[in-house]
Amino acid sequence: MAETKVIMPQMGESIFEGTLTKWLKKKGDRVQRDEPLFEISTDKVDSEIPSPASGVLQDVLVTEGQTVQINTVVAVIGDESAASGPSETAAPSPPQKAETTVEPARTREGREPDVRSSPLVRRIAREHGVTLVALSGKGTGIGGRITKRDILSHIEQGGTGAKTGIIAPPAPIPPARPAAPPAQPSLQPLQPLQPLQPAASTGEGERVPMTAIRKSIAEHMVHSRRTSAHVTTFFEVDCSRILKAREQSRPEFERAGVKLTVTPYFVQAAASALKRFPMLNSSLDGDTIVYKRAINIGIAVNIEGGLIVPVLKNAGGKSLLEMARAINDLGDRARNKKLAPDDVKDGTFTITNPGQYGGLTGTPIINQPQVAIMSLGGIKKRAVVIDDAIAIRSMIILSLSFDHRVIDGAMADQFMADIQKQLEIWQA
Amino acid sequence: MALTTYVEAIRQGIWEEMEKDERVFVLGEDVGIYGGAFKVTAGMLERFGEWRIIDTPISESAIVGAAIGAALMGMRPIAEMQFADFISCAFDQITNFAAKSRYRWGAGVPIVVRAPSGGGVHGGPFHSQNPEMYYVHTPGLKVVCPSTAYDAKGLIKAAIRDPDPVIYFEHKFLYRRIKEELPADDFVVPIGKAAIRRHGTDISVITYGAMVYTALDAARQLEKEGIDLEVLDLRSLLPFDREAVLDTVKKTNKVILLHEDTRIGGFAGELASVISEEAFEYLDGPIRRITAPDTPVPYSPPLEEFFLPKVSDVIRVARELYAY
Amino acid sequence: MNVNDVKPHAVPGGTIQLTAPPPEKTLHGMLYYMKLTRELEFRIERKLYRQGKIVGGVYVGRGQEAIAVGACIDMRHEDVVCPSHRDMGAFLIRGMSLRTIFAQYMARKTGATRGKDGNMHMGDLNLNLVPFVSMLADNIPVAAGIGLSFKIRGQDRVALCFFGDGATSRGDFHEGVNMAAVLKVPVVFICNNNQYAYSTPLERQMAVANVADRAEAYGIPGEIVDGNDVLAVWDAAARAVERARGGHGPTLIECKTFRMTGHSAHDDAGYVPRELFELWEERDPIKRFERYLTERGVIAPGGIEEIDKRINREIDEAIQIAEKDPFPDPDDTLKDVYYEG
Repeated sequence: MAETKVIMPQMGESIFEGTLTKWLKKKGDRVQRDEPLFEISTDKVDSEIPSPASGVLQDVLVTEGQTVQINTVVAVIGDESAASGPSETAAPSPPQKAETTVEPARTREGREPDVRSSPLVRRIAREHGVTLVALSGKGTGIGGRITKRDILSHIEQGGTGAKTGIIAPPAPIPPARPAAPPAQPSLQPLQPLQPLQPAASTGEGERVPMTAIRKSIAEHMVHSRRTSAHVTTFFEVDCSRILKAREQSRPEFERAGVKLTVTPYFVQAAASALKRFPMLNSSLDGDTIVYKRAINIGIAVNIEGGLIVPVLKNAGGKSLLEMARAINDLGDRARNKKLAPDDVKDGTFTITNPGQYGGLTGTPIINQPQVAIMSLGGIKKRAVVIDDAIAIRSMIILSLSFDHRVIDGAMADQFMADIQKQLEIWQA
Repeated sequence: MALTTYVEAIRQGIWEEMEKDERVFVLGEDVGIYGGAFKVTAGMLERFGEWRIIDTPISESAIVGAAIGAALMGMRPIAEMQFADFISCAFDQITNFAAKSRYRWGAGVPIVVRAPSGGGVHGGPFHSQNPEMYYVHTPGLKVVCPSTAYDAKGLIKAAIRDPDPVIYFEHKFLYRRIKEELPADDFVVPIGKAAIRRHGTDISVITYGAMVYTALDAARQLEKEGIDLEVLDLRSLLPFDREAVLDTVKKTNKVILLHEDTRIGGFAGELASVISEEAFEYLDGPIRRITAPDTPVPYSPPLEEFFLPKVSDVIRVARELYAY
Repeated sequence: MNVNDVKPHAVPGGTIQLTAPPPEKTLHGMLYYMKLTRELEFRIERKLYRQGKIVGGVYVGRGQEAIAVGACIDMRHEDVVCPSHRDMGAFLIRGMSLRTIFAQYMARKTGATRGKDGNMHMGDLNLNLVPFVSMLADNIPVAAGIGLSFKIRGQDRVALCFFGDGATSRGDFHEGVNMAAVLKVPVVFICNNNQYAYSTPLERQMAVANVADRAEAYGIPGEIVDGNDVLAVWDAAARAVERARGGHGPTLIECKTFRMTGHSAHDDAGYVPRELFELWEERDPIKRFERYLTERGVIAPGGIEEIDKRINREIDEAIQIAEKDPFPDPDDTLKDVYYEG
């Protein structure tokens, strides 16, 4: 018996998680079974938790102040022959329900168009090789439906597929149905109009299970909303200078094989501001603020069925060209599903760009465990007042959602003002 | 040979089991000196004495609870609910203590709870209900609903001998209306087996309890129109005869589910699911339900008549389904 | 002979006179089972539960051990016990093994319910031990029926039925006690009045002062005893059992005691005034009984430590075995809903 896993116990039927408030032993300490090991706090009770085994506290996996779900392993107690007390055997783990084998999906039976019948009639037709089209218009059921009697008498009269020569061809597997019916009028003969059924029109449509990526996004978004105290601030920025700079640099960049968009300007401005406002480049670990050394900026990319945030590593030390190249590369690989796991890790700040579709601005949700996210609105020419004269300028609204647990409004606005200033006085 | 009524058949079944097995006893309200509100236990006090035909206080929960306790000690109690409507007062003992006992600790609770149920007797909201589905939805119980005198006797005997708790719904409307000649020898009707009451080829009517007769009356009239109904009497709802249900559907390919109980959550819903899951490709028309509406059982005759499924309902739906 | 060296204010009269004290063997048994109950529940609640080894809720009877032990110690094998959830002593005296109990709490296949039900929902017909269900007071009509079966068959057996003060508010208490009284069946009703039902104090449970006051309404004797005095409980139960055996019907015994914990292991009982815990701590049934036995020389010096050692050894062994016991197979889910032959 090598080691015993120490878990966060379930202190009450409805309890889902607990906070480890205090370790009573340190890593490496010897501990006896039933000796107090740590203290926890749940929304029902505070308790001292005894050690489940004797041995050496080999690993402490949850730090003080951390809240974890029940049954999370919080520590590992290693066996040490020197440790006294009866040796421990781990409890047998509860048997898992055997995975149900998924039956291979059955090929869908081809259904012939526009001949009303019933499940039974279709089965009889299939078994006798009869195509129901042969009975079209001969149904005696309500609305001309082909009934059991109809098909049986058809078969009795020798109307099998073989004799009439109308063998139903193997039906092609129908393509997945589009969610909405086609808008064009049907070329089929008109069916009598069914009376409108209001109940049906308000009922639910098609039910489609979420994809894994959709579920993951959903979880992240809700988790973030629950975790951070979201506040959003908005800054209007004149983009004339950066647009001009881009025009100037574009040929040079193209010679280097890099398409230049405006995004790198914002990323570079943000990276530069993050150096001056390290609080925006931090994360929260329990009661501790962790300032990140690296400035790794995540850039949200729209992909089919969702959103992914590849991370531009060490954005602080990159030239505009390097940055543009790296951003393009990440975007391409994101859309082609070629990102490596490392490409989406360790972001410290995120930029999202909903404006590319014309949005004015947005209030983005923070990408946990980061504390701020900047959103780029659409760049649009607007009439602005400069020195009491009205001028036409290309304007953008930048917004910043920040975690008010860590960052106050004054700091967030100073950070944004910094970015604004950089962009408005940009020197090519 | 004399004809035996449905109510007398129940009485005979209990009597014979009590003669044969000393563990069998009856407890309930007014079962002793009065012989039961419907006279099911008439004459038993004189024959078996006050400790086998036990008059109790008005305490449905304690009647069932005491039956459970005695059953655990090896007895075979029959608890009488004066009306099935009052079984709700014993709901907790039945569903929590009796139904789960074997599963929890291996101790079977061989009790019979008799529940005179059903409408058509102008009893109003509290003397006409069909509360079978609360118990059909409780794993660990068995539920039977006899419709004939033969079944009434055969199922009460089977229920008394069964090692698990059985809720025995006896239909008040049938008590003295239904009579037949019964065999003299000892017989039981196995729990969980349905019976075909009329063989037919066009449409199956699956039903139980007093509605069996509604279906049969409709079948007689439809016969003149050339529509041939098959009538399947479930007899037991938990467990129910899945095989018989699927067989009749596969035979006629059209099915009407008929019961006196209300619609939502009624047994027809369960049958419809089973049929569409296991016999979909045998259906030549939609599965149709005929049930009471989702209201309490009303008292005044015109209201009650509206409430209860009628022969004319079966005829109308059968015609529609036949033409479908 | 009197063990009421501390008079709980809740117990009128305060002292009892035993006409015939139990033999020494019984006294030893009482101490052993009370201490075994306490240590067993301590391990379950304070150790195994917090180590995540117990599945589900834990409800203990700390401070109330004298009631089940005093009432059950002299029962005959053929008598039947229907305990409630703070009567662990009843399970132990009836012969349920420690390993079975630990395995039960750890949801193992070897537990009393083979993993089908939790914690103290344990029963065994071979031990004449009928388990209760979570719907409190449901076991009262059942006990009445058990007594009824004895009466029908003319058997010389008695049923003992336990419940708490909270259970007496339910209709099944009324129906069950009333029916038992009307039919004069051999049942003894023992109310473990620990003054709290979860967070609800007694005065929110009933407008009468004592549970025993309700007996009069059923035409049966009601008796109040000091539930923290094992000999007082023993004496009252013995007389009630005698009465039942004589065909005189049921008795309601109210044992005044105090719940020295929360309702369950996750409840810190913050709603109970601390002074009450302090007051009742002084009346701890085990300490009082130890003092009584030592003073009278029934237990030799060092004898208590011997018992403690034995109990710890027995419990350690049982836990070690139970911890290695298997969980039930998932397939067992579908078994035993009905008789399977």
